[in-house]
Amino acid sequence: MGRVTAYADRFSALRPPAEEDFTSPLRSAAVAARVGLWLGICFGLAFLTGLISHWAQEPDAWLPFPTRPTWGYRVTQGLHVVIGVAAIPLLLVKLWTVFPKLFARPPRGLRRVVLEVGERGSIGVLVGAAIFQLASGLANSAQWYPWDFRFRSTHYAMGWIAVGALALHIAIKLPVIRTALGEPVDSSTLDREGADPVASIAPGALDRRGLVRTALLAAGVAVIATAGSTVPLLRRISVLGVRSGDGPGGIPINKSARAADVVASALSPDYRLTVTFGANSRVFTREELAALRQTSRELPIACVEGWSASGRWSGVRLRDLLDLVEAPRERAVRITSLQQRGPYRATELPAQFADDPSTLLALTLDDEPLALDHGYPCRLIAPNRPGVLQTKWVTDVEVLA
Amino acid sequence: MRIPNAVDAVRALVGLVGLGVGLYGLVLLLDLGTDNLLATATWVVGGIVVHDAVLAPATIAVAVLAGLLLRRRLPGAWVSAAVVLATVTVVGIPVLGRFGARPDNPTLLDRDYAVGWAILAVACVAGGIMGTLVRRRAAAREGR
Repeated sequence: MGRVTAYADRFSALRPPAEEDFTSPLRSAAVAARVGLWLGICFGLAFLTGLISHWAQEPDAWLPFPTRPTWGYRVTQGLHVVIGVAAIPLLLVKLWTVFPKLFARPPRGLRRVVLEVGERGSIGVLVGAAIFQLASGLANSAQWYPWDFRFRSTHYAMGWIAVGALALHIAIKLPVIRTALGEPVDSSTLDREGADPVASIAPGALDRRGLVRTALLAAGVAVIATAGSTVPLLRRISVLGVRSGDGPGGIPINKSARAADVVASALSPDYRLTVTFGANSRVFTREELAALRQTSRELPIACVEGWSASGRWSGVRLRDLLDLVEAPRERAVRITSLQQRGPYRATELPAQFADDPSTLLALTLDDEPLALDHGYPCRLIAPNRPGVLQTKWVTDVEVLA
Repeated sequence: MRIPNAVDAVRALVGLVGLGVGLYGLVLLLDLGTDNLLATATWVVGGIVVHDAVLAPATIAVAVLAGLLLRRRLPGAWVSAAVVLATVTVVGIPVLGRFGARPDNPTLLDRDYAVGWAILAVACVAGGIMGTLVRRRAAAREGR
């Protein structure tokens, strides 16, 4: 009760709060360092998996993106989103523990003030970038885009800023972190001025160890509640998952034929697939494609939004088609969709994917003709490739010089 | 003045690398143009304001209110359950609001998220009760 009255007094005093007003011994560097350690691991892994995703989407990568393992991108991008989700409760608890620092009095002396402004500036950048990355990533994973910036390139740039600010923060705080992690969580060495001692925590109330465990538990619950979009085992219990995993042929849809405005052209009897290499060109109807040698592969669709699902695709090997126009190996290919607009209307398929025996122009999924929303009449499906580059409603394949 | 040691060297190195990495990100961001920069800055500053000026004070207000209403400290397990539910609810905002839903794509946001959240809330309450019982039993065994 004493604590509550103290809060009420402060509110009625109508003055800005000071660091000493926050009396909870849980708001401590001992907790911040421990939750921060996990949060730092999350940001490091999210950054690395993010780099992999951008590498996978770069057609002219200095180092060609590998085509194996076929499920590689499914794992790295699933991890990217799962880790980002886990980081949200951790960040909220971390910010709660350090919130009093926001109201710390500025130090005296020019040199100290300059250092303080620099450190606070770096923390402002870190907090701003961290919230930005988690919020924009979370919204993007649910296909919600309430902003005016370009998501992919901005999330990428901010990732570098967040990780840079994090490294700077760790460098500045390293002595505190070392002390905090080297001592028991209940140690009073790093206690803030004005904070109640740990001994004042009533038996049975939440203590520091409990708060750290609660943060980790919340991260775990957040993952289980959402990861069903990419982990089939969790589908039934992921009550906040963006996708249950249902869809035609057991695979969800990202962009429908209606949204892509291809319904008429995809169903038209005039549909043709054109394969071109220089002066050599072949034109196929869907029936003609179905009459060619058919190949089946179990391959995942793994989206940048973090969801993924595996399916059994059958169709014509892309390499077989390229052989029909006598295209040499080790050439990149441009795949064009019936879509008239959109940044992914035409995509460049690097040579290692074009030559891979598992890269198909699929005509069926799970032994049924492709659903219109899955890319009927035919779609590209290549191993270890972001879903957004698995072009649907393919009408043109052109071997690049 | 203290003589720099190995830890100081590591700090200087990590700090400089961090500064370089962050500046590289800033260059990437500036390359995206002024409109993109302004839109990004709005969300970065907005995120800080929403946390520092809304979420953090609201958390304090809820804690104070809970203290006033219950007239005693909550058991740790209840606070844990509340923290789990509150933070996971933040994670669920985009799906609970169904902001990205599209009429032409039934495979997206294809759950009843209100029911899902209710299940989560029930699980948290159950966790809070169980945690309190376990703690009480342990305290009784210790003779407290």
